[in-house]
Amino acid sequence: MDFGLTETQELIRVSAREFLEDRATTTTVRAVADGDTEAISSLWNEIIELGWQAMTISEEHGGAGLAFSDLAILLEELGASLAPTPIVESSISSWVIERYGSDPIKSELLPQIASGGVLITPAFVERDASWQTESTKVAATRSGSDLVVTGEKRFVAFADQATHALTLVRTDDDAPTLIVIPIWKAEGVALTPLDHASGVPVSSLTFNELAVPEGNIVATGHEAVRAAEELVAAGGVARAAQLAGLGRAVVDATVEYTSTREQFGKPVGTFQAVQHHLADMAIAAKQVNHLVHAAAWSFSRDGYSKVAAAQAKIAASDKIANLCWTAHQCHGAIGFTWEHDLHLYTRRALAWKTDYGDSAFHKSRLASAIGL
Amino acid sequence: MRFEFTPEESEFKSQLSSFLDDALPADWHGPADESRDDHWELNQEIKKGLAERGWLVMSWPKEYGGADSSPMMNTIFAEEMAYRRAPGHDRFGTRMLGPTLMRFGTEEQRTKYLGSIARGEIQWCQGYSEPNSGSDLASLQTRAVEDGDDFVVTGAKIWTSLAHRADMMFMLVRTDPEAAPHRGISLILVDMKSPGVEVQPIVNMAGVHSFNQVVFDQVRVPKANLIGQLNDGWRAGMTVLNFERSGIDYAAWARAALEEIIEHVQSEDAVTSTKSDPAIRIKLAELHMEVEAARLMCFDVAWRQGKGEIPSSEASMSKVAATEVYLKVLDYGLELLGMYGVLEPGSKQALLQGRIFKMRLFYTSGPILAGTNEIQKNIIAQRGLGLPRK
Ligand SMILES: Cc1cc2nc3c(=O)[nH]c(=O)nc-3n(C[C@H](O)[C@H](O)[C@H](O)COP(=O)(O)OP(=O)(O)OC[C@H]3O[C@@H](n4cnc5c(N)ncnc54)[C@H](O)[C@@H]3O)c2cc1C
Repeated sequence: MDFGLTETQELIRVSAREFLEDRATTTTVRAVADGDTEAISSLWNEIIELGWQAMTISEEHGGAGLAFSDLAILLEELGASLAPTPIVESSISSWVIERYGSDPIKSELLPQIASGGVLITPAFVERDASWQTESTKVAATRSGSDLVVTGEKRFVAFADQATHALTLVRTDDDAPTLIVIPIWKAEGVALTPLDHASGVPVSSLTFNELAVPEGNIVATGHEAVRAAEELVAAGGVARAAQLAGLGRAVVDATVEYTSTREQFGKPVGTFQAVQHHLADMAIAAKQVNHLVHAAAWSFSRDGYSKVAAAQAKIAASDKIANLCWTAHQCHGAIGFTWEHDLHLYTRRALAWKTDYGDSAFHKSRLASAIGL
Repeated sequence: MRFEFTPEESEFKSQLSSFLDDALPADWHGPADESRDDHWELNQEIKKGLAERGWLVMSWPKEYGGADSSPMMNTIFAEEMAYRRAPGHDRFGTRMLGPTLMRFGTEEQRTKYLGSIARGEIQWCQGYSEPNSGSDLASLQTRAVEDGDDFVVTGAKIWTSLAHRADMMFMLVRTDPEAAPHRGISLILVDMKSPGVEVQPIVNMAGVHSFNQVVFDQVRVPKANLIGQLNDGWRAGMTVLNFERSGIDYAAWARAALEEIIEHVQSEDAVTSTKSDPAIRIKLAELHMEVEAARLMCFDVAWRQGKGEIPSSEASMSKVAATEVYLKVLDYGLELLGMYGVLEPGSKQALLQGRIFKMRLFYTSGPILAGTNEIQKNIIAQRGLGLPRK
């Protein structure tokens, strides 16, 4: 085993941190949470310049051809900064399209995603908020060479910014189908913005007899089920990577606060009760970090470990929000205020733990994966 | 042993319950405790109603307008109020300052203040914590200097719940900076309208304005407002804290939330239900037990008080158990609501109006306020179990 980062990964980490510390401060995070969509697009435009959206897209299709584990390093930094930007949405979508799409759709879409011309986000869950493929009800009826799509997808992140949605639908013959739907200012698409704890735009998307060319189909039938499964697994690991970074940032901030806040004539960090809280937090953050690296590493051209992917998301979901609550306890009243940034991390952690399958969902997947 | 209420207690509980049926709006879900600012009118109305029925200060002696009710009765009152998420409870006046005045106040002070608390007329707030004095309260720095018939107060209090609504504050000030920390503190009563008092609102992480910073710039306070002896305020001030430290509100809030969650998972709207996953039944049952365990801790405190004991360690235990179980219930509620759990109140498509999320944020304060749970555990270990301090 080798727990170390490659040179590329070190470089990604350092340059991402440098950029984000400057460009994605909590001032930006708060502005976006208050509805400033300008702030999202200006940050996204800078990120496009850096090429982060193209990281895991193959060189053949205009990307950098880096590994999922390289992406995970970037996502940790994005998580630590709470950057309000759709890298996970975009990367996971392109990842799935590259693995399951036909050659024409790959050559059509991937270069545009890589160049930033297309911003794509997954639209997966419906009213029952389930990441189970079987839950898909949004209907696609064949009409000539089009699929006519009707129904509602919920909790779509950055739907108001995205040009396209990678959507799971069910066709007339009851086949799950993964399809790319152009949504930007499209007729037949209605957005219902939600007030979401993540502090980034999340909406429900309603399709009303929207005609989508069949050339936009990525996969259908069994392939679509496999693609959807990988989308949830990769999305879960991506969120887990962000949660790992977020957890580390909260541990660091809490170490710093309790080292300087004095009561009884000494830093509160000298009390064992506080030290043990921090030790528990540090253990949790490390465990999540290891599981995320193991899971991200398992993603290759040919497949991924279902066990590792589920483990990473379970741990991240269960441990990181808890870690944030403990951080509140260590901060006392100051960490309970709106003005203090800690609740921004907590809100984000709570939101991310439900994304791409919550802990219960992945426990059930893990149970199946280990033969239970 | 007897694990049921007496007929008299049950009768009172049902009277209070039907009073609340009328007093609370039909679709009332709370959340509310008296420190919140979002239901102030209702708070005042219910407080008056409780006062008219003599319930607000039921546990006070008859001579001060009370009914000499047992601590058990008082706990039943607090439990029912919290269970219904009813505003109108006056913790600061009735539970904290009143009993302190009875013990440490002069005859004149009792006449002046107790009646208005009993009638629910005056809102009090508690000025103890300071920016640099939280857990280590005895280090407080707000100065009161004697000047003729007055004290002149300068400094800042923080996290003062309801200061923006309060008429009066009971506060701890430093009157002898030379003495050992505990020996130079006095307890005084301050009119919030005095010149030089400035209340600066602080919004909490749930987006609610419930507490404040209060800055004192050479505020003149008559010496007649000193409670107890000069420089002996620590003793009187700590008495207040003993009344503050009960977990019953949290235990009752936990029960209310658990019932709401159980009802929800069995409803049509539920995204995860007991039908879809048997493990949910098991977890809900576990929480049901935990809530009852915390509740019994609180009633044990009341029972001991009724026998004339001062159950310090038991009160700390009840505070820790109840604040923790409430958060456990809310955490599990969020888990069951899944992606809907993280919609903010007021969001479209939110379930249970986003209440569970907002309560989870708001009650993050439970294990922090009124002495953090770490401090409570120190008390339990040292005072309760007699473990060595060094
Ligand atoms: C919602 C809310 C309402 C409040 N209302 C009021 C009010 O009306 N009036 C008022 O006067 N105050 C009020 N407070 C303040 C409250 O009493 C303090 O927050 C509390 O005493 C803790 O102090 P602190 O926040 O400064 O935390 P700190 O004392 O700075 O504590 C920080 C951390 O260090 C830990 N710690 C400190 N000392 C020790 C130790 N010896 N051993 C182990 N761990 C330790 C704490 O447990 C905590 O985890 C309120 C607070 C809140 C959150």
